[in-house]
Amino acid sequence: MSVTTSEPTTGTTTGTRRKEDLRFLTGQGAYLGDYAPADLLHIAVLRSTQAHALLRNIDATSAIALPGVVAVFTGAELAESAGKFQHHLAAIPTLRQIEWDVLAIEKVKYVGEPIAAVVAESRYVAEDALDLIEVDYDELPAVVDVEAALAPGAPLLYEDWTDNLLLQMPGAHGDVDAAFSEADGVIRARFHNHRISGMPLEGHGAVAEFDASTGRLVLRASTQAPHMLRGTIAQITGLSEAQIQVIAPDTGGGFGVKNHAMREEALAAVIAMRVPHPVVWEQDRVEHLTAGIQSREQIHDAELAYRSDGRVLGLRARITADIGSPELYIIGAAPAVVTTGVMPNTYDIPNYGFELNCVVTNKCPIGGYRGYGQPQAIFTIERLMDMLAAELEMDPAEIRKLNNVADDAMPYTTATGANLDTGSFNQQLDHLLEAIDYSTLREQVEAERASGALVGLGIAQMVEPTAPNMHALAGQFGCYEMALFTVHPDGHVSLSVGTKSQGQGHETIYAKLAAEVLTIPIEHVEVYDGDTNLVPFGGGTSGSRSAVMGGGVVLKAARQARAKMIEIAAAMLGVSGEDIELRDGMFFAGEAVLPLAAVAGAAYLHTFLLPPGMDPGISMVVAYDPGNTSPFPDETGKLDVAATYATAAAAAVVSINPNTGVVTVRDLTLVHDCGNIIDETILNGQIQGAIAQAIGATFYEEIHYSDEGQPLTTTLLDYMIPACGDFPEPRLIHRETPSELIGGFRGAGEGAIIVTPPALANAVADALGHLDNAAVTQTNLGPRHIREILRANGVALDPLAGRSA
Amino acid sequence: MKPSSFEYVLARSVTEATDALSAAEEATVLAGGQSLVPLMNLRLARPDVIVDINAISDLARVEQVNGSVRLGALCRQRTLETDPDVRRVAPLLAEAASLIGHVQIRNRGTLGGSLAHADPVSELPTAVLALDGEIELTSGDGSRRIGARDLAVGALMTTIKPGELLTGVVVSAHRPGDGVSFVEFARRHGDFALVGIAAVLHRDEAGICTSARLAGAGLAGTPTDLTPSIEAIVGADVLSDDLLRTISDGVAASVDPWSDIHGSSEYRRELAQVLVVEAIRSAWARTEEQP
Amino acid sequence: MSVSFSLNGDSVVVEAEPRELFADVLRDRLGMTGTHVACEQGACGTCTVLVDGQAVRSCLLFAPQLEGCTVTSIEGVGSPGSLHPIQAALSEHHGLQCGFCTPGVVLTAIELLETEPDPDRETIERWMSGNLCRCTGYTGIVDAIAAVAAQRSAQ
Repeated sequence: MSVTTSEPTTGTTTGTRRKEDLRFLTGQGAYLGDYAPADLLHIAVLRSTQAHALLRNIDATSAIALPGVVAVFTGAELAESAGKFQHHLAAIPTLRQIEWDVLAIEKVKYVGEPIAAVVAESRYVAEDALDLIEVDYDELPAVVDVEAALAPGAPLLYEDWTDNLLLQMPGAHGDVDAAFSEADGVIRARFHNHRISGMPLEGHGAVAEFDASTGRLVLRASTQAPHMLRGTIAQITGLSEAQIQVIAPDTGGGFGVKNHAMREEALAAVIAMRVPHPVVWEQDRVEHLTAGIQSREQIHDAELAYRSDGRVLGLRARITADIGSPELYIIGAAPAVVTTGVMPNTYDIPNYGFELNCVVTNKCPIGGYRGYGQPQAIFTIERLMDMLAAELEMDPAEIRKLNNVADDAMPYTTATGANLDTGSFNQQLDHLLEAIDYSTLREQVEAERASGALVGLGIAQMVEPTAPNMHALAGQFGCYEMALFTVHPDGHVSLSVGTKSQGQGHETIYAKLAAEVLTIPIEHVEVYDGDTNLVPFGGGTSGSRSAVMGGGVVLKAARQARAKMIEIAAAMLGVSGEDIELRDGMFFAGEAVLPLAAVAGAAYLHTFLLPPGMDPGISMVVAYDPGNTSPFPDETGKLDVAATYATAAAAAVVSINPNTGVVTVRDLTLVHDCGNIIDETILNGQIQGAIAQAIGATFYEEIHYSDEGQPLTTTLLDYMIPACGDFPEPRLIHRETPSELIGGFRGAGEGAIIVTPPALANAVADALGHLDNAAVTQTNLGPRHIREILRANGVALDPLAGRSA
Repeated sequence: MKPSSFEYVLARSVTEATDALSAAEEATVLAGGQSLVPLMNLRLARPDVIVDINAISDLARVEQVNGSVRLGALCRQRTLETDPDVRRVAPLLAEAASLIGHVQIRNRGTLGGSLAHADPVSELPTAVLALDGEIELTSGDGSRRIGARDLAVGALMTTIKPGELLTGVVVSAHRPGDGVSFVEFARRHGDFALVGIAAVLHRDEAGICTSARLAGAGLAGTPTDLTPSIEAIVGADVLSDDLLRTISDGVAASVDPWSDIHGSSEYRRELAQVLVVEAIRSAWARTEEQP
Repeated sequence: MSVSFSLNGDSVVVEAEPRELFADVLRDRLGMTGTHVACEQGACGTCTVLVDGQAVRSCLLFAPQLEGCTVTSIEGVGSPGSLHPIQAALSEHHGLQCGFCTPGVVLTAIELLETEPDPDRETIERWMSGNLCRCTGYTGIVDAIAAVAAQRSAQ
């Protein structure tokens, strides 16, 4: 079924392009912090000032005495009746099992770790109280990078471990040793992926209300995964999932950062059960940047074995992931596991070996961020391919085509077990090269370079597993989605889905899908998400899964509803179901016509009209599991984790000012294939946003720690995300290769953030390629880093040449 | 984070302000608040008393007297940037102000506040230093003036005494033959600069440069007077590449900036060299503009 | 203490401590939660409101400073039945996704269009560079403002 359109999505009751626009534009959005029940009390969290220390004593006497303070809780007090967090990944035998408390009790492992909570009549007073709490720390030496953490005799985050390795996971597929011994050459490089943060504009937050008279808890949280959170809260509070309702209200961005169960969310729940008031915790920006969730930090020691004609024979990578403190669910090792799975990318590389080391350090926990381990892998392989091209003096596009999985090899099972059934990689690449007039562009760039300018052209491509089976990463869940679909007596539709929009426009796209199946106007469909009471279970929104799984289940449910209504219409018209046609919201059988509302009304209000034996109502809970994913690796370590795959290719042209190191992106073109497109405008918005984040990750954003483990990036003037005007509008070209799944979708949220950074890095490397010692092997290409590379290559400052690129 | 508690005093006159400042040990002036409140929202600043001077409309006046311009401390940065009179008589201040943050910041931020806050990367203190301006400080005992170079003694530290209010800035008015330029390097538009450079030149009717001043932001804890490095330009009637290189090299040799997460000392020094050339070229060209 | 000011055309009086940030006064004392807080440093623009016609950071103003002022927050711009041209254009050009930065964007754009009669794209980008957005990549925001500017020029 093709649903491509470039028409505006008009006809919404709101009169706006997207149904959700109206409330956001008029300040009527209902975000977490906007919910203010009477009697609300505010939580402020006391956080460790030490990177690594034993917690000897917490004295809150003065804090409790402050007027306006209702209570102060320490970890020891809560531990009496609160459960512990765990990572649930028993299935990975070499992953150390850990548990952790809502508030740290004996030891702190990073600056910012929560150690106490004040409950007061306002956040202002609560913070006044924080100032009055005295903490005795026995400081311990801290390890702030993987080298220090792995050094013999290094201080241990967990004293009962033999080292600071949370996970050591090898993998070998094909015959890697043979590939390397047969090779004509090997490209070796060490790649650094620096630490950044997904940084949604709205931080985390939770409001908890417990009614002791019913034993029920309502937890509002700014989360992407309400059902996952409900399960965690049940474990921590001891309540059952039937007693807990998690509501995720309008969410100001998530990007994977909110796909975790936060200690502070559990803290709010636990406190609400102890004080007879609703309680709120709102994460402020300092907390978000220093004690929230960070991402990406990995070092890859990678080797590419090749034949002299440019054919890659084998790939090896030692991946060292600095995951900070591991006490986070979903654990920070999960993205690193994904990194190992996707490194062969679009290439036919059956001989692939890796060793993953997840190292714990005294820093903020690493968690998810759009891309989820894939950006690091694709950066490495795409840089290696360019390095190989340079070594063999081959064109980077040619070497990719030589190595891409061939069209006639599809569907292709990768070394790690991914079952690729995408469109043609080479056709996608050709599409990109044609769109940018590649050979002419290369000539132009070379001509500019000949005149002394630092200009470069870079390309990259990627294939991305989407809609993954979360059991492999989170130790529970699967690969499915659920929806509650109801056609009301008046013929209008409510549908609730287990995904959770944080701006992706689900209210609009799901309504559109349902409306098309039922041939009714989009304004007759109301979409709900983010409420665990409205759908039995859901997988939330992450892993580019919403169109695939959410869209899929909406279509499945809508089709079931249509089928039932056709049966009812047939009975009402006295014909057979095959004679019925649904069109323009009406059921036709020859001359006879029944409006959809009449059929819906019959199902509830005039049930004598129903076919004999049919249950009244048109309402169903539907689950959709494509059934093509694995929850665990097999005995050879292969894991077919994704329901489907999206692909993309990107080309970037950059100019570098040699004096300041500023890289100006002159041109950025993406060819993007996410299968059938539901709404092209919304899709373009997703891609543009991901590109902005890619630009940020490459040229602007950095998280820094001091040698003692003190966070140095504490405000938005330290952590710089791209602002308006900082990069050009990209050119986006869509291909639609439908997937085999319901709706033919492939997933769209993450492709651009995976493929754009290596295209940019390859362009920078191209611009600097004439220098002897300008290996571009880091993701961080901000101006001062480029200037360092230039300086190291003896490119002296020329103040008279100025700063224009 | 939320700020800690304070006693709020709304001063309706300079006297009320200085009285309030004298009465309390930890009293801080609230002008634009664009530098103070961020610090308070991190609880890095916790004044016991805030003296709000925004109602003292007298402090926002701009007056020209005998070839000088006196700008009141409460002149908003947005006014400096856009007011035609200020742009005509104090173009360096207008240009420096236009680089501060974003419009929303400049709508509130003030000239006096920026100088009193003394952030080493801020633009206005460096511009005033380049103009060899004077700072007017008023207390219960009256007013005194100090040279711009004597205001800041370190990062966020000035010689303003307890009970004293910075009430005005006095600079020479722009005359024909003057050329000024303020340039800076910031990562994004409106960010704190890594380095900023202010150049003030005068060329006579024969085109000969008769005076030159140069100052830098972000190169030390206080605005840096780089005038010794630009002295070579006095007497020149042509801005040669050699001259520019000499000046730029001189600046590089005379500064020792700090390193932090935004840039190393070496990177800042390099930026200074590039910006110095840019500022001087721009100021030189502007000496030929008609007012 | 008591603070009186005009908010979206209505006179209001609030009780607040001197230290309460104006953004919090709007949100918590007056229930006007359309103004969002995202950094409390004036760095992101999310909390932007109009005070006496000028766009300012409401997280950098204390409650007493609003005495006698005329304030416009997002709740005073258009209405669900009748959107301001900027609001309509932002929707049309898909200049919003999660909506968290949107109120600040709208109010900044209002001052922009009142100040610049015929802004080119570069001018719009410079004006809007003080409003961070993590979702859209800004293209839709600039397109929307340019469209409204063009309509005004055409009139």
